[in-house]
Amino acid sequence: MAELSYREAVRDALATALRKDDDVFIMGEDIAEMGGSMGVTQGLLDEFGPARIRNTPISEMAIVGAGIGAAMQGMRPIVEIMYEDFLTLSLEQIVNQAAKHRYMSGGQLKVPLTVRTQGGAGWSPGAQHAQQLEAWLVHVPGLKVVFPSTPSDVRGLLYASIYDDNPVVFFEHRTLYGLKEEVPDELERLELGRARVHREGDDVTVIATGRLVHEAMAAAREAESDGISVEVVDPRTLQPLDEETLVESVKKTNRCVVAHEAITRMGFGAEVAAVIQYQAFDWLDAPIERVGAKFAPLPFAPVMESFVVPHAEDVLAAVKRTVGK
Amino acid sequence: MARAEHTAELSREQLIEFLREMLLIRRFEEKVEERFRAGDLPGFLHVAIGQEAVAVGVCRALEDGDVFASTHRAHGHTLARGTPANAVMAELYGKVEGCSHGYGGSMHLYDVERGNLGANAVVGGGLPAIVGAGLAFTLRDEPRVAVAFFGDGATNIGTFHESLNLAQLWKTKSLFVCENNRWAESTPGWQHSPVWEDMSKRALSYDMRAIKVDGQDVEEVHAKTREALEHVRSGEGPVFVDVETYRLHGHYIGDPQVYREKDDVKEANEEHDPITLLRGRLSIENGEFDSIDGEVQQVVDQSVEFAKNGTDPAPEDAMKNIYG
Amino acid sequence: MATEIKLPRLGQGMESGTIVKWLKSEGDQVEKGEPLYELDTDKVTQEVEADASGVLLKIAVEEGEVAVGKTIAVIGEQGEEVAQSADGDSGGDDAQVEERVEEEGSPGAAREAERDEGRRAAAAEASHGNGGARQPTEGRVKASPLARRIARERGIDLAQVRGTGPDGRIVAEDVERAEKEAPAAPTVAAAAAGEIEVRRLSSVRRTIARRLTDAWQAPVFQLTVSVDMTQALSVVERLRTLHEQERPTVTDLLTKVSAAALIRHRDVNAHFVEDEIRVHPSANVGIAVAAPQGLVVPVIRGAERLAIAEIARARAELVGRARDNNLRREDLEAGTFTISNLGMFGIEQFIAVLNPPQVAILAVGSTEERVVVRDGGFVAVATMTATLTCDHRAVDGATGAEFLQTLKTLLEQPALAL
Repeated sequence: MAELSYREAVRDALATALRKDDDVFIMGEDIAEMGGSMGVTQGLLDEFGPARIRNTPISEMAIVGAGIGAAMQGMRPIVEIMYEDFLTLSLEQIVNQAAKHRYMSGGQLKVPLTVRTQGGAGWSPGAQHAQQLEAWLVHVPGLKVVFPSTPSDVRGLLYASIYDDNPVVFFEHRTLYGLKEEVPDELERLELGRARVHREGDDVTVIATGRLVHEAMAAAREAESDGISVEVVDPRTLQPLDEETLVESVKKTNRCVVAHEAITRMGFGAEVAAVIQYQAFDWLDAPIERVGAKFAPLPFAPVMESFVVPHAEDVLAAVKRTVGK
Repeated sequence: MARAEHTAELSREQLIEFLREMLLIRRFEEKVEERFRAGDLPGFLHVAIGQEAVAVGVCRALEDGDVFASTHRAHGHTLARGTPANAVMAELYGKVEGCSHGYGGSMHLYDVERGNLGANAVVGGGLPAIVGAGLAFTLRDEPRVAVAFFGDGATNIGTFHESLNLAQLWKTKSLFVCENNRWAESTPGWQHSPVWEDMSKRALSYDMRAIKVDGQDVEEVHAKTREALEHVRSGEGPVFVDVETYRLHGHYIGDPQVYREKDDVKEANEEHDPITLLRGRLSIENGEFDSIDGEVQQVVDQSVEFAKNGTDPAPEDAMKNIYG
Repeated sequence: MATEIKLPRLGQGMESGTIVKWLKSEGDQVEKGEPLYELDTDKVTQEVEADASGVLLKIAVEEGEVAVGKTIAVIGEQGEEVAQSADGDSGGDDAQVEERVEEEGSPGAAREAERDEGRRAAAAEASHGNGGARQPTEGRVKASPLARRIARERGIDLAQVRGTGPDGRIVAEDVERAEKEAPAAPTVAAAAAGEIEVRRLSSVRRTIARRLTDAWQAPVFQLTVSVDMTQALSVVERLRTLHEQERPTVTDLLTKVSAAALIRHRDVNAHFVEDEIRVHPSANVGIAVAAPQGLVVPVIRGAERLAIAEIARARAELVGRARDNNLRREDLEAGTFTISNLGMFGIEQFIAVLNPPQVAILAVGSTEERVVVRDGGFVAVATMTATLTCDHRAVDGATGAEFLQTLKTLLEQPALAL
């Protein structure tokens, strides 16, 4: 066992793939000498050289598109988009091209591209550097979407994404990069599409993603002292979604809270709530609660930013509402 | 399957072969127009009438292993690269036997075996992938080239600029073929580009090598493409080919071209028809021409029969090929 | 051979066009590609070229709206026979033109059929909504959230309800229906409209019936007083703010005051049993409660010793247990006096039936503003009417009257009860 931070775990997955396969290479802005704006790719240039660790100009469309082109030729490129917000610049290539080549060609082509990006609020990054846009991508058939919340998950799932034959949009969360966890010495490749139960409980299921997994765990500990037993489940892969695990959990507890940092309204949580409502209708003892950011762009001033984004207290309050407290 | 011509100068036989190929495209496109008007073909259709020499000249210059991405006006490129008329027509009819198995239609013709990486309905949408493919060939040190077809209209969109910039920066094995027919749907060149009179200036701003080609002279297209391909294949860097050509019909089938001067259309059809021009240059006898024409017409007619008798996909097939 | 000129589809989604003007006349020579007529579509008026060369033998549609695919003219050789189908207006040609069109390999019509097929296949598949596969709900009572709420509110056991919703789910309607079928008598069959509903007595009801019959045999008399509740109401008000959690009511005050009066008039705090009068040392005041299973009288023991807040708490617990049908034996035993309050139903005054072996029962009506004469004038006073029923075998008129007088005084000046 070794203790790895989330950041190191990402790096480890990248390095393992780069070592294993000449066809794996990375493109992104400032990823070479600088090692990436979040320091994720530090050291990789030294080991793998500039042909495979490629700094790009500020051209999100071309970066992603080049990734698509190389992937179509059988390589396994990983493209880094510096901030999740900049994903919007490359959406045409991701949505119109990467997601649809296999389909439009009637199965002749595959696009084994991995697009890595990071986002999230905290420390006042401002409205254009903090969005959580996973809801946009899960809405596109042909894309897989992954959003791990722990070092072991991010390592195993990134590796799996690189070797998945479909385009994967891989979300990391900026505030989790420093999070440490004991992980096995050997990289364990995880399966996409499987949720993880972080904590078992009997009274209410909290389905959480990204940073909110950890907020949910804190809320769960607090709720314990109030006599409420909370189960925390992280879907980890948003598309395809492990509906079975989520529904089984709610059938056990009869109550559900869905929590994510993204804006609540029209968010990913709305889909989860709809799926749970439909499949576990007769097991529900309370309406499904959703926790997320308020419907506003992210403000700069810390006091306002803190008001908009969800915290452990919000999860706890939602938990209490489901049990009628 | 298209084979590259290895001689610097083309023999008469080879040129007659080019003529046949261009005529096949022409008759195919005319048939497509007819079938569309009759209501057989769903969706949008854009014919390449007038631009056959570009398709044949470029595609016949490619080697095995070269790949290309096309635009919404893709029938010519697809046929010129060797996809049988049957497969293309069946795709337009939405049949399983179509080259995209009914999933793509006219604007999404794919034939990966022949290096056809797909027609694209998004203007400029295919360019970045050609940079990527060229990059892959560079990284793997393969003597292959990736070719992007696009029109003058595409020279304004973001993907065009980002792609040329990146391709030149990394010297990817990419060839950019601009079919400059001076019309972006209904917008004439002067209305959409500050450099419409000399599109090669676009390449200049990226320090990319550019060549100009008369797109109605299939011989010139072929020769200059070979030259450009050599350059690209050697790893010296991408090339921008500014091909002057003419769109003899409307943007889409049924386009009444209310935005275009009748004289302009007339002149294009009378003076710039690449088939007429080649026919003239070769001084082909009417008999020989008619014989070739009759032959390709038969291929085209048969392709319609083939398509009509094709298999419709099952409705549930819509849910396949999304993931793999 | 003559060529039929059909209206072409000039754009995706075009279903018809309007012929505005023919640019050639019948008998004119026409070259392929030459403009033949002017057509008005949704988007634009344009010239349409001839598909063939020859003589314009026939114009089938002079002007007006024509569907795509219909024959509008015939071009052929001079003197050629024009097929019958080209004659007449577009309307009459329908059947034959359609047929010809189908032979050529179907225009828009066939693609429409495919679109219909796709739609039907999709509809057939979508029997299970948008949320994913539903799984069977073995073991668990299937009831909608609304049904559960109604059942909870009305004390209905879902296990006894038959569900008529999807998958046998109990829906609100089912619970409503179950409620109508008398819950106290499980052997009742649902009565069809028009039939007499037969309800067999439950054991509770049988007991009540027996005891009331007994009570009816006692010789009773009733005494009535009107009580000025002004002070009492204000005391209760104050008590409620003092004791937020218990929230004492008028009934609680009545209980306390009755207990005080009972201690001062011990003869009323007694049981009549055969030929004995048993006078009790402590006032165990019973409150009549209308529970789902029937009338019950839980008892607050030693009410004279309890503070109002304690009485309130005890009352709440007992009433709660009564409503849930959870009363314990000891809750119902040892009562020495009963208060029955129908004030909440707007009843001004009534006579309660004795609760044997108790010798007296107090019936209390609603408190409302009544006009009384005071100091020669009229005033509106919050007034409540109380009626005491007494068993004459144990209680004399004077005894009963004195008790009631004390009760009234204590209610009108609650401080005296302390």
